[in-house]
Amino acid sequence: MPALLSPAGNLSRCSKCGLPETYETLEFDTQGVCNICRQQEFKHGAIDWAARKTMLEGLIEEYRGKYDYDCIVPFSGGKDSTFTLYHLVKEYRIKPLVVQFNHGFMRPNLLANNERTLRRLGVDAISFTPNWKLVKRLMREALIRKGDFCWHCHTGIFAYPMHVAIKFNVPLVFWGEPSSEYTAYYDYRDDAVEEVDENRFNRFVNLGITAEDMRGMIESDFPLDPRDLIPYSYPPLRDLKRLRYRSVCLGSFIPWDVKRQSKLIMDELGWQGDEVEGMPPGLYSYEKIECAMQGVRDYLKYLKRGYARVTQMTALDIRNGRMQKEEANKMIAEWEGKKPPSLEVFLDYLEMSEAEFNGIVEKLVVPPHKPDFQTIQWGRRTPDFERWYREPKN
Amino acid sequence: MSIGIVDVGIGNIGSLRNAVLSQGWDVVSVQAEDDLEAITHLLLPGVGAFGAAMEQLARAGLVEPIRRFAMAGRPLMGICLGMQLLADRGAEGGDAAGLALIPGQVVAMTHSHLPLPHVGWNEAHQLRPHPVLRGIRDDIDFYFVHSFRLAAGDATAVLAETEYGERFPSIVAKGSVIGTQFHPEKSQTNGLRMLDNFCAWDAAC
Repeated sequence: MPALLSPAGNLSRCSKCGLPETYETLEFDTQGVCNICRQQEFKHGAIDWAARKTMLEGLIEEYRGKYDYDCIVPFSGGKDSTFTLYHLVKEYRIKPLVVQFNHGFMRPNLLANNERTLRRLGVDAISFTPNWKLVKRLMREALIRKGDFCWHCHTGIFAYPMHVAIKFNVPLVFWGEPSSEYTAYYDYRDDAVEEVDENRFNRFVNLGITAEDMRGMIESDFPLDPRDLIPYSYPPLRDLKRLRYRSVCLGSFIPWDVKRQSKLIMDELGWQGDEVEGMPPGLYSYEKIECAMQGVRDYLKYLKRGYARVTQMTALDIRNGRMQKEEANKMIAEWEGKKPPSLEVFLDYLEMSEAEFNGIVEKLVVPPHKPDFQTIQWGRRTPDFERWYREPKN
Repeated sequence: MSIGIVDVGIGNIGSLRNAVLSQGWDVVSVQAEDDLEAITHLLLPGVGAFGAAMEQLARAGLVEPIRRFAMAGRPLMGICLGMQLLADRGAEGGDAAGLALIPGQVVAMTHSHLPLPHVGWNEAHQLRPHPVLRGIRDDIDFYFVHSFRLAAGDATAVLAETEYGERFPSIVAKGSVIGTQFHPEKSQTNGLRMLDNFCAWDAAC
């Protein structure tokens, strides 16, 4: 049964949190409530978090002291990986190897946060930056194929730390937030711990494009060495199993509370939020501060699906009883769907015109949404706009 | 850890070998008694008739050595006909003695009004926990191909049962020995997990 019609558009929306039908994996029940709201009710009601905490302690002790590091913590420096690192170090005095995959668009505030966090916690860290020319080519291809230019980042973030786990012989890998918090690819109701493994990677991380596929798509016009794509490929299962690896989310063992955790890392680590394009400044300043291209990503989502991150964030707040629907609708109307200034930078990197960009997006729109390119206004620049890397003008 | 697979022409070992390798373990082919020395775990796959398979094992001089391997508390897993060979006797291809590690007889599935052989995916209803079943949910489907079944002589050795016209033991275990009527190597995620669990099992239960 279709849910309530929202004043913001012609899409059916969850009667509780307001997420629209174009949201991936979303389904409504007979009361017009979405499956993500329903599984959230389960998370709060039926998971035995005390038992999960005992599982976590058992897992940590199983690997403690046996390798060069107790675990690997993949780290973007955003709120989730910063909290994960903080929690493991402070609560369990674990010795982690922090692994960072640099997607190429880390913002100045994030870099400052990272340095502060790593220094204050006193941990070893390595950072990996892939070939920028290849990154740009991968972004163009993923944009054209899927309307999602973040393939290099998503695959790299999830695959590269697994290569490091093998190279350093460290079997335990701790991610932050479980995907059940946002989507229904995995369900809290299964009461199983989500393994961040190749199945998950292939199911939704890589957009259905493997590195091998990508090779075939770009090698005719890009001077590619097949080894260039290793950081974006999941390591062979046999190598990971030989290591007896475990790759899990801290959020499978403790209830994930983004607001509380963000405040904690601000108080304890001096971690700072940032203004993000398309978002009300100050309100969700801890969200998605890692990437200068976040505004373009959200804008693409808006063009394709008729909603962006204000809808998504307010849905989360409504679900957790922290906001009323009316307030959310007001905020969505004011902030969502503006053209981000980062679009100009992005198009520069990809040597693409806005008309070409719009033409690509038009083919990938998720029905029943129809974008209206004519009425869109520019959003405002974030304070660090001038400090983002720009290609030299010829 | 080194996983032995009995390789004396009584089963197709290719898919089993690949399944075990995919889980990160090293595989050794077992063709004679000496091969048992270097391994920690032994897999006994099998296809075909009971009597002929026992003859092959006897010809390779492996019947007593495999029995001794299991009696010493080293982990042994029989798969499909390999599970049936663990029993006392089998009727397929004439009455023959088995390895006598799991009490019972192997008999034809005659009560079934359904076509034989029993081929395809079917549920294993778990009756008791076991380390090799760790992380495998109850009533999960596995892949079967068989026309004979174990008539268990000791109900406590039956870990799981499956329904196909009649209820029969689909997983059996006793001491360091376990057997599956189905093919874990052809049963995707849950089958692979079972093989992985077996290879990690110290049989100290």
